[in-house]
Amino acid sequence: MNQPAPPPLPDDPSTAYFWEGTRAGELRILRCRSCGFYVHMPRPVCRNCQSMDLAGEKVSGKATLYAFTETHKAFHPFFVSRVPYLLATVELAEQPHLHFLTNLVGIAEADVRIGMQLEVAFEELSPEIVIPVFRPVAAMAEGSVAS
Amino acid sequence: MTVRTSNRRVAIVGVGYSQVARNSGLSERHHAAQAAIAALADAGLKAGDIDGVGTWGGDAVDFAWMMGFDRLKWSLNVGVSPAFITPAYHAVQAVAAGHADTVMAFRIMMQQPSSAALAAGGAMLGAPNPGDTQWQYPYGDFSPTQWAGLLMNRYMHESDCTEEHFAKFAEVQRNWALLNDNALQREALSAEQYLSMPYITKPLRILDCDYPCDSGSAVIFTTEERARDLQQPAVFVDAMALSAIHDMNFEILPDMVRTSPAHCAELLWSRTGLKPSDVSTAHLYDGFSVITLQWLEALGLCPPGQAGPFVAEGNTSLGGKVPTNTDGGAINVGRRHGANFCIEAVKQLRGQCGARQVEGADVSVWANAVGPFSGAMLLTKD
Repeated sequence: MNQPAPPPLPDDPSTAYFWEGTRAGELRILRCRSCGFYVHMPRPVCRNCQSMDLAGEKVSGKATLYAFTETHKAFHPFFVSRVPYLLATVELAEQPHLHFLTNLVGIAEADVRIGMQLEVAFEELSPEIVIPVFRPVAAMAEGSVAS
Repeated sequence: MTVRTSNRRVAIVGVGYSQVARNSGLSERHHAAQAAIAALADAGLKAGDIDGVGTWGGDAVDFAWMMGFDRLKWSLNVGVSPAFITPAYHAVQAVAAGHADTVMAFRIMMQQPSSAALAAGGAMLGAPNPGDTQWQYPYGDFSPTQWAGLLMNRYMHESDCTEEHFAKFAEVQRNWALLNDNALQREALSAEQYLSMPYITKPLRILDCDYPCDSGSAVIFTTEERARDLQQPAVFVDAMALSAIHDMNFEILPDMVRTSPAHCAELLWSRTGLKPSDVSTAHLYDGFSVITLQWLEALGLCPPGQAGPFVAEGNTSLGGKVPTNTDGGAINVGRRHGANFCIEAVKQLRGQCGARQVEGADVSVWANAVGPFSGAMLLTKD
């Protein structure tokens, strides 16, 4: 049986820094070169100082769990075989309220606690699409989640 | 020169629905026409009396021509926004400013594809910002039920609310619907039944969601002077507010508990002499159950973090402190995107709610949306 393809990425040169980064095993977030403010989701202007000089920059990959939900129903063919899965909003360590939507891996839903410390890992959905996912810091020693 | 505007008191004089149903087989125009005819009949007005139209769903000018309305002095099509309150809010402004005299505001809403259709492929829900879906789709984030699940979990983390309180909320809303002949969901429901249902996006269950259907709703706004001559007891707009605090990405809101309704409520109360304790009935958006709970707290109808226990103790039920969503809410009357809350508030203030009438209701608040944006309107009897 053929596994359905993941949803394709849009043709968007302005976010190439991000997807090139994940394929290289780096989490890159757009950052203002004038004031240092991180901007996610990416926009052409810094909402802190209104500079339009921004570029993707590698971040630590450390984060705190802000919110989560376990999805039980699939809303796209690719995810039919993946339910249930954990969707999570994490606060990246670089800046207060720098929220990033991701998947939480390496933990059962019952053990998830808001406020827990997380670290980035990478999962390949296709050769083109490598996504940053997050797992509890304590589980890091157990090896890579990347398939 | 400055633009000439008036500052006229505005009343609601007519309300109406189409034949709301699941997969009705009717077009947007059918739903608009049925709702318009019902609202005109309710008001005792003729099509030629309407000189302004605002809508979300379909096209205002198309509806006006189809209906034989007067030449329009004002019209507006709104897109993604805090649901029905957007055309309603701007309709009030048009009448208050004197740029139109009798305005009809619509919300026409067609049923969206089911989750089964989405999982099978070929169907997708609309995305407000297609470029932003690359931060959502690869993680399996496609449906509003998912941000709602995030908001519920965060809300439970910060408040005294539990899943049992959400169960009680579903039961309380259904009890209201049992008193409403126009509700689509009219079978008794217990909190235990709610808890026995599967999760969609844990902790969210299907009974935390509004009920998909095709619906058309219409509300007529006019001046106080005209309202006095019409057949219904006039209901007045005392205050209103719109708020927007973030782009449309609910999933990365900086604060998922004190979202736009907190800002909106602050604006609303700053524009009136009335207080939260004056509210006789509340009609608070329930696209997802957690939204109503956020509004109860934002509006100051219960203490912060206490909306769950407040509902479970019966305070939002018939005979409670703040009877809320007295039509049964969109979870039971079907997705009318906030228009049902405006219309039910009007009927409560007119005293036309029959078995679910709140005795002596003289101040009602209705509110729409959550998260990035929201709106609220305070209505009064004479």
